[in-house]
Amino acid sequence: MTSQELGPFMKRNPATACCGLLSLLLVCGIYFRNGLIPEAEAELAQKSAEGERYAANIRNSDKLKQQYAEILAANKEVDARAVRVNQVGTNIQFFYKLESETGVRLADPSQVTRVAAKGKTVFMPVAFNVSAQGDLPQLLNFLRMLENRTRYSRVINASLTQSVVNRSAPLSLTLNLELLGSP
Amino acid sequence: MLSLLKKKSDAADFRQTAPWHANFRNVEKLPDIKVVRTAFFVNAAAISVALALLIYFASQEWHLHTLRGHISEWQSQIDRDRKASADAVAMFKKFQAEEAKINEVEAFIKSKPLVSELVTRLAETLPPNIALDTMDLRETGLTLRFSVRGAPDAASGHATAYLEMLKADAVFSKGFDEFTFTSTPTRNPNTGRMAVEFFLRLKGAKK
Repeated sequence: MTSQELGPFMKRNPATACCGLLSLLLVCGIYFRNGLIPEAEAELAQKSAEGERYAANIRNSDKLKQQYAEILAANKEVDARAVRVNQVGTNIQFFYKLESETGVRLADPSQVTRVAAKGKTVFMPVAFNVSAQGDLPQLLNFLRMLENRTRYSRVINASLTQSVVNRSAPLSLTLNLELLGSP
Repeated sequence: MLSLLKKKSDAADFRQTAPWHANFRNVEKLPDIKVVRTAFFVNAAAISVALALLIYFASQEWHLHTLRGHISEWQSQIDRDRKASADAVAMFKKFQAEEAKINEVEAFIKSKPLVSELVTRLAETLPPNIALDTMDLRETGLTLRFSVRGAPDAASGHATAYLEMLKADAVFSKGFDEFTFTSTPTRNPNTGRMAVEFFLRLKGAKK
């Protein structure tokens, strides 16, 4: 059909012509707006993921305030129990207190670490050498108090010796230990 | 089928034979006298195509409209939650920093065995014929020296049984993984008792 024949054809078939024109417009519309759906779907996926993440953050932080307060209180206690490297007198006093409470005899406890180490951690181990003499219950009591009370400690080396010849003689305990400290 | 073929060949014959008079019909101008006019089918087809396209386009637009509605809903939720979420994240970071301190303390305490626990357990498990002379805890493990009362053969048996007992003990097996005699049991000339030495290797210690 040529362009000259198109005019009479449209006059003879107005409905077909209108439908053809409409179809053409619709095809154009479909073609040009087709890309918008994947874009919108991608945007929706991104927004929903972001929204869900925010909602999860809020949901998970439900008891966070309370837990934060609790952990702050716990850390205050930890700070109070940590020794200070430069407070040598106070640190040694801790061992003499144990001596007086347990009845063991200490032989010059000494602090090995004197300078605060620089590191990424908040705390640092402060090393001590401690020698004690006493009977088994006294030494056990001393060790229990050392490991479970007031300060955080860990024993690096320990030597407990009993006289082979005289079993009634007091036992000797030598410890290289570390107390949790802060600079 | 046969009859149809026959008719076709008849029609062909008819076309080939010359008409008996001149054909003056103007086919272009003759009216469409079919029962259903061709224009009806053409219009119907055009309307159907247009309608189908219209429905498809409308559904696409509706889908797009729905998606945009959802997007704006999520956006308003995001705008509402953004601050609360940022606050929660900031608080969680603070919490993590505080938690790291607690973890550090826990790691410090748990890095070495409790000597008081080991001594207590030794005192609880020591058989009547065996006396502890020395307990020496080092980075690699625990060395135990004992004096064993009795004849050499019986004393060695007591020592072996005690080593097996330590191996099976809940406290010792938790912290140590190798239980061995470090040397052959020998008699101590000063006491007349058998001197025995065990070595208990700390779990995770270098060999």
